[in-house]
Amino acid sequence: MRVEISYKFIVGFLVVVVSGVIVNLAVPYLQIPPEFQQFFSVACALVVGLIIGSIFSRAFTANIRRLTSAGERISRGDLSAEIQLKESSFPDETSDLANSMNQIQESLRSLVGDIRGIAFKVAGSAQSLSGTSQEVSASSQEVARTVDQISKGAETQAEMVEESNRLFKEVAMSISLVATAANKVVESANQTVETAKSGRELAGASLGSIRQVLAEAESSSQQMLNFIGQLQRISKFVEVINGVAQKTNLLALNATIEAARAGEYGRGFAVVAEEIRKLADSTTISADEITDLVEGIRAEGQLVQSSMGQVIEEMESGREAVDRTNQAFSAITENAEGTRAKANSIAELAEQQITSAERITRAIDEIDKVVSDNAAATEQVSAATQEQSASMEELAQSAQNLSTMSESMLQIVKQFKLVQDEQE
Amino acid sequence: MALTLIFTLGEELYGLEIDAIQEVIEDPPLHYVPRAEGVLSGAINFHGQILAVIDLPSLLGFPGEERDHRQVVLTPQFKSLVLTVSAIQRIVKLDLTTLQPPPEQAGKSAIRGVAGLDEMMVNLLDTDEVINQLENSYAE
Repeated sequence: MRVEISYKFIVGFLVVVVSGVIVNLAVPYLQIPPEFQQFFSVACALVVGLIIGSIFSRAFTANIRRLTSAGERISRGDLSAEIQLKESSFPDETSDLANSMNQIQESLRSLVGDIRGIAFKVAGSAQSLSGTSQEVSASSQEVARTVDQISKGAETQAEMVEESNRLFKEVAMSISLVATAANKVVESANQTVETAKSGRELAGASLGSIRQVLAEAESSSQQMLNFIGQLQRISKFVEVINGVAQKTNLLALNATIEAARAGEYGRGFAVVAEEIRKLADSTTISADEITDLVEGIRAEGQLVQSSMGQVIEEMESGREAVDRTNQAFSAITENAEGTRAKANSIAELAEQQITSAERITRAIDEIDKVVSDNAAATEQVSAATQEQSASMEELAQSAQNLSTMSESMLQIVKQFKLVQDEQE
Repeated sequence: MALTLIFTLGEELYGLEIDAIQEVIEDPPLHYVPRAEGVLSGAINFHGQILAVIDLPSLLGFPGEERDHRQVVLTPQFKSLVLTVSAIQRIVKLDLTTLQPPPEQAGKSAIRGVAGLDEMMVNLLDTDEVINQLENSYAE
């Protein structure tokens, strides 16, 4: 049963008062001289008061002492022990205070436990943060260097883009030249096709003429052979005439001899024989002339015939040449048509290329802008990276500090004693 | 004036009086006589008579000349010899009164004399001397 301290004091006071009254009533029956009766009752009241007061105050101060020592213990950081008051039938405010202090201690214990766990974690994290921030610092320095290189690279890139732009403009110019040239080739190929066609027609006409002339030359050659054959027949006739003339000459000779032998009688015959001889001689001369003429005609005829043969051969080779010319014209036509088609496609391609080249030039211009922006941005990045690097160094420093601080916090938190048998 | 058959031996004109000529024949089949040599070309059958053929250019020192296909048959007075010459020309009349003696070295040339004919000269052949020389050449 709970009794507040004030009631306990009131009860004690009442007990003292009651005992004084009782003693005062009982004194006359105790045969105590009257002059001591007053004194005795006061003494009894004092004794009762002292006893009760001492009982009360002893219990009270003992509890207070325990609480005080517990408070001192807690203030030292020892949260391990439970505050135990002496068992009492009438607990009072001290036990409330003890309970409150126990609750405080409990709260502190869990708080410190939490703080300690967190401090552990913080210390670990701070250490790893310190390590990481150092790595990050190193990395950011690396990044700064790299960004520097990128910045330089961006400058080179800008120069190269400019060079590319210039080159590509030249290429575009070349392509337009190619397109012009291809168009000219198309015109030339058209002209070539036309020329080759008319050439082929002419060659065909020549071929016809040559065939005609060839046929005529061959028949002329044949006629000349026949003519030469006829001449040989004439020669044979002339030979016969010559033979006859020679025989006649011989007969005339012998007739002259015989006439001479006949003397005067043979004179007239001798004259006839002489005339016959003269006839035979002139016949021989004429026959010889005919032979010469025939020989000359035959030689001429053979010359004509061999010339005709040469003409025929030349005509034949001419015909072959014209044939080949015809074929060559056909090939030229085919080639020129192929060339025209190819040149056409080249011209088309070149047109497409010009369009593409214009697009590429625009794209390169844009790239140029982007590259310039990039260069500027990269310089900014470089500056930012350097700042970041400095910040990271500061951060690393801070992380180091944090680690140190978390260590010292851990040291501090460790001063709290949470469990009974926990020793440092 | 005498009728003379003229023919060539080399570049020169030679003449043979037709009194010594039996006949002029043409291309008779020539029979080679065994062991015949030098100026004897062979033999021919002339109307059944076998006559010796003498190559006159060879005999008179004109070897290698062309030969006429006609040959001259001499009269039996001249042993009916057949003479081959270079080329028989014709029968002309020679004025024997203008006959001039042959050059000095013609002692063995069998020429009776040289007669003029138009612008040319004709060496008149000494038929007897020819036969003499022939006999001498075979006697040696």
